[in-house]
Amino acid sequence: MDLPAGVRNFSYAKDMAIFRTKTHWAMLLLLFVVLFTLPLYLGNHWLNVANFVGITIIAVTGLNILTGYCGQLSIGHAGFIAVGAYTSAVLTNRFELPFLVGLICAGLLAGFVGMLFGIPSVRVKGFYLAISTIAAQIIIIWVINHWTNITGGFNGIAVPEPVIAGITFDTQGEFFYLIVAITILVIFFAKNLARTRPGRAFIAIRDNDLAAEVMGINLFRYKLLAFFIGCFLAGIAGSLMAHLMGFLSAENFHITDSILYIGMLIIGGMGTTVGPIFGVIFIKLLDKGISFLSPTLEGAFNLPAGFTTGIGPMVFGLVIILFLIIEPRGLAHRWQLFKASYRLWPFSY
Amino acid sequence: MDELLQFVITGITVGTVYALIALGFVLVWKSSGVANLALGQLVLISSWFAYGMLVQLGLPAWFGLIIVIVLSLMLGWIIERFVLRPLIAQPILSLITVTLGLAFFLEGLVSFTWPKSVAALPHILPDQVIHIGTAVVSMEYLLAAAISLILFVLLSLYFKYNKMGIAMRATADDQLAVQACGIPVTKIFSRSWMFACVLAAIGGILMSSIGGITYGLVHTGLKAFSVVILGGLDSFLGAMVAGPIIGLAENVGGGYLTPLTWPGVKDVIPFIIIIIVMFIKPYGLFGEERIERI
Repeated sequence: MDLPAGVRNFSYAKDMAIFRTKTHWAMLLLLFVVLFTLPLYLGNHWLNVANFVGITIIAVTGLNILTGYCGQLSIGHAGFIAVGAYTSAVLTNRFELPFLVGLICAGLLAGFVGMLFGIPSVRVKGFYLAISTIAAQIIIIWVINHWTNITGGFNGIAVPEPVIAGITFDTQGEFFYLIVAITILVIFFAKNLARTRPGRAFIAIRDNDLAAEVMGINLFRYKLLAFFIGCFLAGIAGSLMAHLMGFLSAENFHITDSILYIGMLIIGGMGTTVGPIFGVIFIKLLDKGISFLSPTLEGAFNLPAGFTTGIGPMVFGLVIILFLIIEPRGLAHRWQLFKASYRLWPFSY
Repeated sequence: MDELLQFVITGITVGTVYALIALGFVLVWKSSGVANLALGQLVLISSWFAYGMLVQLGLPAWFGLIIVIVLSLMLGWIIERFVLRPLIAQPILSLITVTLGLAFFLEGLVSFTWPKSVAALPHILPDQVIHIGTAVVSMEYLLAAAISLILFVLLSLYFKYNKMGIAMRATADDQLAVQACGIPVTKIFSRSWMFACVLAAIGGILMSSIGGITYGLVHTGLKAFSVVILGGLDSFLGAMVAGPIIGLAENVGGGYLTPLTWPGVKDVIPFIIIIIVMFIKPYGLFGEERIERI
């Protein structure tokens, strides 16, 4: 269903290519043109939203590799993002290292912390693992809040603007190019990871870890690898987030954020490359819509004072529940259905 | 040594209340295999129910509390009927994440209905001070622990002798066999959720009549997870034994470690215990180690 009728391939490499027809390439080119000229049409506010969407896509792609492909539920993702954010902030602020070093170290440290808390996954799964990642989240945030001479504790920490090869990224527009470039790399990496040996091992572990082990997949190695990759991407996202915000405090990495990342993944569709993109854009736009509409509604209908703060979580919770009940495969599945029906149109028999 | 006794008594009594909340989790897990991560939010919302009844409506304590129990029974029924039942026989990942969505929703509902984030409940239990040896303990703590213990005994008797209780245990053991015997499994699921909500409500009221209603109640619910993990997911006795242990570790550890490390270490100890238990004995003290087949 992925291709229009009549497309033939004469080599394995062509058969495996991501972009296979001229239409694919034209669409890709169009997407790139639109993406890279976006700062010309969008104001600062929407560029900021787009930047956060990009960062969140990186984080949720990491979660997707861990949860969607490898089946290891993590409710501590915001904690791992915090590790990345603070690593980068501390390295660039207190030790005045260049941004790129901070970015890579953020990813590596977050990956190693993730691996550490992922070790129990070798013996336990499902709920047990969920709880140990919640514990990870709470312990990480506690350490950040109290290790005052390194992280600044409750006072927060200032983060300098990133500089790469003499170019300072200090406006939303410049940040946008940095974030788009990294996001594209990450999505490309995730798409290809799913087709490599580790990616297939992850899927085997998700579907039945016992059977996977019997088939000769080293569970310990691949589960920890999934934790490392997932949390590495979380660390990269955290580092970008730190530099974009310019100021960090642990309040940005609450456990509800961790739950929301899982929500985004479910809404988008677990175990697909496009899932995180759909999910993040859906939730971010919903968030924007709610925070735009709710004060107006509150004024218009004389609603109680808690309406503005309460409606957001209520809607998010409801959306997560409804998606799980009605469309557990998420928006990505709907997108597949749409593509299939549009290819067959108008002869859909 | 004066403070040690104090820490021990506070720890054991608070831990018993944790155990009560944890029982609600074990109940749902045993009968339906659903991991209820919205435990903290259930505790939070039922404490606010109590606030609504006792303070906002000004009902007398006994009547207000009965209404709170009825409300939480209804909440349990609604949750099971509209959230969990459509997901029967779905993978465990969906069952866990749906309770996360539920947690989000309940939290929104709380801040929607009760915008102020902190409130005090009137003291339901007598709060005069008792001297035990060198320790000074409020009567409230002891009574709260006693109530939790009584509920535990009642619940154990119910599961041992009541027909419905036996049916619930049977469902935990083998769902298909139970269905073949003509026991309505969905009814048992909804019963177990109703029980879980009531236990969360009682635990929440006990905690918040002592310490007031704050967002910290969600963390109380999270601490109940460490009780569950330490005791074993499917063991009532485990929860009842592990509760006081967690309470002890939290209070004694918090009391002696705070000068050595950072403030707030008390609230992290249960989670450190979770990680340690995961490494050493992942199925807990009394939990059944599941052997899987392909």
